[in-house]
Amino acid sequence: MTSFMPLTTVFPGLVWTMAALALVQASRRASLWRVGAAAPVAWLHGLARLPRRYLVDVHHVVARDPHASRMHAVVAGGLLAASLLTALAILPPLAGSRAYWLLVTLAFAVTAAGSLLVGARRYPVKQKRLSAGRFQILPVLLLAYAVGGTLTALLLALGAGGIALPFALLAAAGGLGLAFEVRQGPMRHAVAGALHLAAHPRPGRFEGRPDTALQPLDLDAPRLGAAMPADFTWNRLLSYDACVSCGRCETACPAFAAGQPLNPKRLIQDLVAGLNPAEPPYAGTSYPGGRAAEGPRGPLARLIGPDARIHPDTLWSCTTCRACVEECPMMIEHVDAVVSLRRYQTLERGALPEKAIGPVTELRQAGDPGGRPLAARTDFAAGLDLPLMADRGQAQAEVDVLLWLGEGAYDLRYGRTLRALVRLLRRANVDFAVLGAEERDTGDLARRLGDEATFQALARENIATLARYRFARIVTGDPHALHALRNEYPAFGGHYTVVHHTALLLELIRAGQLSPQRLPDLSVTYHDPCYLARYNGETEAPRAVLDAIGLSRVEMARSGKRAMCCGGGGGAPVSDVPGERRIPDLRMAQATETGAGIVAVACPSCTAMLEGVTDRKADVRDVAELLLQAVEAGR
Amino acid sequence: MTRLRRDPRAERTAIRVAAGTRPRYDRTAKPAGGRPRRDPRAERAGQRVPGASRPRFDLSPIILSQALHGDRPVVAETRPRPAPEAAPRIVVVEDPAFLVAVVPDATGGRLSGHDRQVLGAARTLAGREGGVVVVSAGPCEGCGPAGADRHVVLDDPGPDPAARAATIAAALADLEPRHVLFPESLDGGDLARRIAVRMGVALFDNAEVVAAAGLVRPARGRRVEQRAAPGRLATVAADAVPDHAGAPREARVLTVATAPAPASRLLSTERIPADPATVPLALAEFVTAAGNGLTDLDTFRQVVAALRATPGASRVLCDAGLMPRHTQVGASGTVLAATCYFALGISGAPQHLQGIAGCEHVVAVNTDLHASMIERAGLAIVQDAQAVMPALLRLLAQEAGEQEAGHPAGDPS
Amino acid sequence: MKIAVLLSAGRHPVSSTAVLPRLEAQAIRIATRLGAAFGVPDEAAAPFGLHAGPDAAAVADALGQGLGRLEHIALSEGADPVPALAARLAATAPDLILAGRRGQGGGESGIVPYALAAALDRPLIADVVAVAPGDEAGTLRLDQSLGRGALRRVVVRGPVLATVHPDAPAPLAYAFGRARRGTIVSLGPTADPGAGPVIPVEERPYRRRPKVVKGAPAGGSAAERLKAATGESGAASRGRLLVDPDPEEAAREILAYLRRIGVVAPPASHPHP
Repeated sequence: MTSFMPLTTVFPGLVWTMAALALVQASRRASLWRVGAAAPVAWLHGLARLPRRYLVDVHHVVARDPHASRMHAVVAGGLLAASLLTALAILPPLAGSRAYWLLVTLAFAVTAAGSLLVGARRYPVKQKRLSAGRFQILPVLLLAYAVGGTLTALLLALGAGGIALPFALLAAAGGLGLAFEVRQGPMRHAVAGALHLAAHPRPGRFEGRPDTALQPLDLDAPRLGAAMPADFTWNRLLSYDACVSCGRCETACPAFAAGQPLNPKRLIQDLVAGLNPAEPPYAGTSYPGGRAAEGPRGPLARLIGPDARIHPDTLWSCTTCRACVEECPMMIEHVDAVVSLRRYQTLERGALPEKAIGPVTELRQAGDPGGRPLAARTDFAAGLDLPLMADRGQAQAEVDVLLWLGEGAYDLRYGRTLRALVRLLRRANVDFAVLGAEERDTGDLARRLGDEATFQALARENIATLARYRFARIVTGDPHALHALRNEYPAFGGHYTVVHHTALLLELIRAGQLSPQRLPDLSVTYHDPCYLARYNGETEAPRAVLDAIGLSRVEMARSGKRAMCCGGGGGAPVSDVPGERRIPDLRMAQATETGAGIVAVACPSCTAMLEGVTDRKADVRDVAELLLQAVEAGR
Repeated sequence: MTRLRRDPRAERTAIRVAAGTRPRYDRTAKPAGGRPRRDPRAERAGQRVPGASRPRFDLSPIILSQALHGDRPVVAETRPRPAPEAAPRIVVVEDPAFLVAVVPDATGGRLSGHDRQVLGAARTLAGREGGVVVVSAGPCEGCGPAGADRHVVLDDPGPDPAARAATIAAALADLEPRHVLFPESLDGGDLARRIAVRMGVALFDNAEVVAAAGLVRPARGRRVEQRAAPGRLATVAADAVPDHAGAPREARVLTVATAPAPASRLLSTERIPADPATVPLALAEFVTAAGNGLTDLDTFRQVVAALRATPGASRVLCDAGLMPRHTQVGASGTVLAATCYFALGISGAPQHLQGIAGCEHVVAVNTDLHASMIERAGLAIVQDAQAVMPALLRLLAQEAGEQEAGHPAGDPS
Repeated sequence: MKIAVLLSAGRHPVSSTAVLPRLEAQAIRIATRLGAAFGVPDEAAAPFGLHAGPDAAAVADALGQGLGRLEHIALSEGADPVPALAARLAATAPDLILAGRRGQGGGESGIVPYALAAALDRPLIADVVAVAPGDEAGTLRLDQSLGRGALRRVVVRGPVLATVHPDAPAPLAYAFGRARRGTIVSLGPTADPGAGPVIPVEERPYRRRPKVVKGAPAGGSAAERLKAATGESGAASRGRLLVDPDPEEAAREILAYLRRIGVVAPPASHPHP
């Protein structure tokens, strides 16, 4: 049949066939997402914003690896342009134009060049973080389609379409192969990724907000948390299918670096494979520790267990640092997946890691993970005479700063930081007060470990306490408390202005209320707390404070929003999953590489974790401690 | 104990140097009596740590008293032991106005420390007129010095606590004591409750204060304390009441009417001693721990086995995977309740010391004289643990060899 | 295998909030594990909790610890729970009754399990850390704690009552979802709650008293107590420091020290010459 048709019709027809095949494959895949739970999605808004989300937000992430960015722009742009142009050639006026075919040739040539760039990442030696398997065929298919397309279009442009058939067949082989791969091969990322961008579960991420608060769990839901793929919402299942196995998350993950049994890429791929019984085998780096359990598959298959796809230790290794989320070019929310799975383990099965049971139980029963008396929270300030909110009475004018002490107040080492902070506030004549024995833990630990019930109970109690007092803003030195109070309490009716102590200190310096001397002899490197930098986007204030005291400041290789975690978040220290190394040791080694004598920190967890490194070469000092030193040097 | 009055004039005459016209005195001569004069120079020399090229001094206070005597690097504090007192007269209560009975645990036929405290409490309740009677199932030594006027020795009814309770309850029914005290220990507390139920009498448990005016016990998670007049039955908490301090008592043996113990309903009982190698670290009595100063962990494991200790480790070794995680001692590992902690090559980070805060005795071997662990230790040895371990093994092997050969081992002390 | 766990209205030692006492949570862990070992034919035969007291909410936490069903006998504050519990336990006839070694909320003297054992005429095994099926059918093997990890293993033919020691396996985590699914059955009082033997007490806030120093005699002078605290018995006075000794000498010193404090057995059983 086709031999009677001119090639100018057959060739565009091939692209149309490809499109049809891709559509069939995509809808076969989409039927799997339908097992997921319902989720509210603003489709029109999402689709309208799709180009912007892709070109701005996704590009911002992809461009961190310039080579990968160029590769993708060339191959994806070329592929899309060449296929579209060819498809349009079904119109007779275009099909007859030699100039048009020259344009198509050009587009295919660009694709071919891009295909070579794709191939260069995998041949002769694959980059370590990339997955093999079907991904290894991708450059071959691309090249076949692109070269076949180039030559076919070129011959058509030269008017020699009669001898182009073999090349058209080559293009057909490559093109149909690519379209076939939309269901469970590498090309799935294109379709699922585009849909994922439109139906993203955290649209706030694209509107400039740090949309990082965990979503509240309905405690009356029939099942709490996720036990099987069908427990995830459909757009989350879609998001996992968007994973292109690039392995950027794996290189960013602190637990993976420490040899703990967690690999974010493998985790997402396990969620994909759990959903799809026919998924081809995983071909990337596995979980450290070499676990090989396969477990059942299917929408109703149990995901977590010693014999299931995901070992519980994998879940509890996560520090919820969001480094994987920050690096993911497909905008996948790994931490949300981990927390959903943890919620089921904790709330439905009580299967917390053995060592975490104590802290979570004490949190539930005593409002503090150590089971310590709440009144002892202010013991660190013996002799400092902390003003209490309760003593100010309700009749008085509102206090400017409510100082939220957090769990670090119980820690001997961190007490030093808080004392420095209190001294600075006094010196700057800041009107402040603390809740004292009325302050309960924010519940951060419980929430990250999946105990949403305890978190919500603590949140409600804290919100009720705060409702009794009048204050302009909350200041805290604990980024975990800051994140909970600022981003997670609004869902329970607590809306506050929450300021990190570094931001307040900068404000006081700029207002002239603190006049630090310069300490140029000290060299310092600043370690960004995950919950301040990545969760709240605050990376500048602490650096500005350090610069104001004239320290010589050097940056670690990973800093700012891409900083590496200290290992202290997400309940990882209490879960204490064994690994080959310790995360704080790795981070401290990175700090030592800079040659700085001091590691500046701004979080009680980071302080504790980094202080716990044996044979430290550098001192660990909070920004407030350094500032106090500079202020007191001026006396 | 009046001290002899000093006569400075006579003392000076005694040290006068005979030669010369000008009076000269030999101040280096040690005075005949009184306190020795301090010699800071000699003390300093005594503190000097041998071996180092740079002069190093051990400034820990324990060294001071010995610095005067000799220049041995081995320095020990030995307080003068009080001279053994003459055996005091035994107090006899011929016809006690009432009896206070004590039912001790008496494991292995000897009073435990807790038992002695209960006897001290009973002695307080008995006062001058009353008599303290020990009711023991099976023989029990040392009741008299601990404060017992009478002693009832019952036949050992076997391991079943129900039978034991029946036997003792029958004896108590015959003795009709005004008060009966038990130690609030695992067995003692169990026995007290069994007897309380048998007798249908309320039990005042876990008394922390025992006086004729009243007993006090903690309640509601130690938020309140409850006071009551001494009743029929009470148990006494451990380490709350002091031992009997007065003169020994006669512990005259009484015989009482006994009832045959009921048949045991237990099919079998078997005592399983704790295996130090596997007992949870938190429960272990004797922990030997390795730190960063050790390189040869095989020898360490041999030492642990030879001493029948429970193995522990510092965090660094656990992090490095050289020792299992469950052996980690410290704030982030296990907090110990051991009697003795033997630290090999551990300098003693604050978190580590938190984990051994509850240990009564600490023995430390470390190369660093200024390590916190050396300061904490009851016996501190500044030496390479790597060298001490084989020596310890050799010593133990030698003793075992002598024992096998039928020779008594040499006295190690 | 029917297992009942006696529950009491506990208070958190620091925060004073109503909590399930830790020992009872440990008892639930033992019960659920044992129940699973025997296999649970139906929901009614699963381990259940029993509480007698004014308020069932006080023990609702037990549902989250793994018990599917709680039975609550309403009793007025201060009433003796033993007759009501004994009547209910006689009616349900569990093969094993587990309790903490000392319940909270009532007299807190730890007498209730003993009174129940007497009322039900069952053997009581105190301070167990583990319960397992015995080799013979119908028997149970219970491990009693003797402290410091030593055990007494007792085999007994059921039904039996046992109290749980703190060295038993740590409690499982509370699971909110399990607590949500569990049921509390309210039972009316089945027996007249007569007053048990009670000692009239006078209560006041707790005052911490110093621990008795080992070796300090009663009625001794302050100087004697100080001597006992700092003198022969304390580690401080015995502080010995050996700097760079010969390893052999160090080994002898260590061994002598360890023997003196009694953690290492003496070298030979026969007397020294």
